[in-house]
Amino acid sequence: MSINMEGNKKLSGSPRINKVSLIGRIKSSLGQHTRQLTASFTELWKTPFATVMTILVLGIALSLPTVFHVLYKNVERVSGQWDSASEISLFLKKDISEERVQVLINKLSLYKDIETVTYISRHQALEEFKEMSGFSKALNYLDENPLPAVLVVIPVKSAMNTAGSKLLVAKLEREQDIDLVRVDIDWIEKLQAIFYLVVDIVIGIAALLLLSVLLIVSNTIRLNILNQRSEIEVLKLVGATNSFIQLPYIYIGAWYGFLGGLIAWLFTFILVLWLQSGVMSLTGVYQVQFEIISLNFQESATLLGVGALLGFIASFISVKQYLVKIEPK
Amino acid sequence: MILFEEVSKIYADNQVALNKVDFHLKQGEMAFLTGHSGSGKSTLLKLVSLMERPTTGRIVLNGNDISHIKGNDIPYLRRHIGMIFQDHRLLMNRTVLENVGLPLLIEGYSRYEIKRRSLSALEKVGLSGKENSFPIHLSGGEQQRVGIARAIINQPPLLLADEPTGNLDPKLSLEILSLFESLNEFGMSVLIATHDLGLIAKMRYRTLTLREGEMINDGLLRERNEY
Ligand SMILES: Nc1ncnc2c1ncn2[C@@H]1O[C@H](COP(=O)(O)OP(=O)(O)O)[C@@H](O)[C@H]1O
Ligand SMILES: [Mg+2]
Repeated sequence: MSINMEGNKKLSGSPRINKVSLIGRIKSSLGQHTRQLTASFTELWKTPFATVMTILVLGIALSLPTVFHVLYKNVERVSGQWDSASEISLFLKKDISEERVQVLINKLSLYKDIETVTYISRHQALEEFKEMSGFSKALNYLDENPLPAVLVVIPVKSAMNTAGSKLLVAKLEREQDIDLVRVDIDWIEKLQAIFYLVVDIVIGIAALLLLSVLLIVSNTIRLNILNQRSEIEVLKLVGATNSFIQLPYIYIGAWYGFLGGLIAWLFTFILVLWLQSGVMSLTGVYQVQFEIISLNFQESATLLGVGALLGFIASFISVKQYLVKIEPK
Repeated sequence: MILFEEVSKIYADNQVALNKVDFHLKQGEMAFLTGHSGSGKSTLLKLVSLMERPTTGRIVLNGNDISHIKGNDIPYLRRHIGMIFQDHRLLMNRTVLENVGLPLLIEGYSRYEIKRRSLSALEKVGLSGKENSFPIHLSGGEQQRVGIARAIINQPPLLLADEPTGNLDPKLSLEILSLFESLNEFGMSVLIATHDLGLIAKMRYRTLTLREGEMINDGLLRERNEY
């Protein structure tokens, strides 16, 4: 066997730590990163079944918070529309004359934040009540009409939010001839309180799901590391640094997260389409225009980014926990 | 190249593997390390390659005191030591070429450069044409030569071999040894741990003998079974 050593000079060199120029190091590390990024992607598909299963689980875990987000966004938007006093009922004092009522109506019509005022006289109110309740006969025995006259006020659009209508209500309450001001807003506030409670619960669940993403990825990476223990030992023996050995594992973790995010995006997209068709038939009934808004570009990018970041963090934890501690024997 | 001063290694279970060992392997020197199984040969090599740290004493590797070297520096030091093992330590899921090129991959060489130098290293150990095989399909002797090619690919100044002929028949063992000889002729320092006295006897090299962790002889072995 002939031995033909090149560069014999190196043989007499002392084993000192190689100092490579900064630019050289950056260039070689950039090259290494892109190489590892693609290599780790190919590595994933060497065990396609396990990979697909992992990614699906991650996708489901990530899609629940995503769907919650989409629902929240839409409910928020819708409740913004509902969050208004569409109607304010003014119950007038019983003993005021028709003239004073007319004066009041004229006065209210001049308010900038009132769109229309409709007058329901005591007589009309009774007739309506008789019709609705079916107690017409019994009511005939009453000496006196027990119902007050009512002015139904519809505020202008700009006064239809909570703050605006509160202002209007305060103004109306100061009117002498008005006995009671009733706004149909209380139930909306109650609904909103419930909604925010649900949101809090959902945020808790979403946090748990994101935590489970961390656990799934870090466990998968942990198993990878333990399976490849002897390979890692060999790499360390021939002088590989921890950062060199850990790179593929960290990239694989980030890929898991990213692909999980992609699956979650797809799930969400399909779900929104499905909900949209349901909403269409509903809005048909109620004759309102309503469209579910899905994830926009920024939100989609965030989803993928969060997925990749979670995968990165999870694999980083596993690498620090297990890979770094492996020593060749 | 390697200097041991009163080096002792006591394992966690109070097992004394090396007891105040002194020796100096000069640059460009080739020597054998022998002794019964359990006498501390592997431990000595592991101290040099930083797989184990000494309990007491001083180890100097080519002028650098490595007794208290930081963990982060170990990989860079190992790049200057070629290591050969009885069980070869090859990656079974990678081709011969990939195995041999591993030390260069770690140092960030280009793919082209890695291939060129791996092929040349394989040629040196007489394995041309096997570059695309997987180690599992090679004989024990061939696998050992892949290990040697990997150890010498970045031309380390020091080569450590732990029972490199352990699983080989005498003819193959001699072939491997003559390979070490020719590497030594080109200036590589070589330290070979083996309990095969017959092999040592065939070659006239300095021999360090360990018994129960103590260095009991340093020099040419005059007779067989001297330890
Ligand atoms: N990791 C270890 N932990 C505890 N004892 C060890 C360890 N490695 C080796 N030993 C002990 O140290 C002594 C020397 O072992 P070793 O260096 O492997 O000898 P050799 O290579 O000459 O057979 C033996 O008694 C062995 O049992
Ligand atoms: Mg041994």
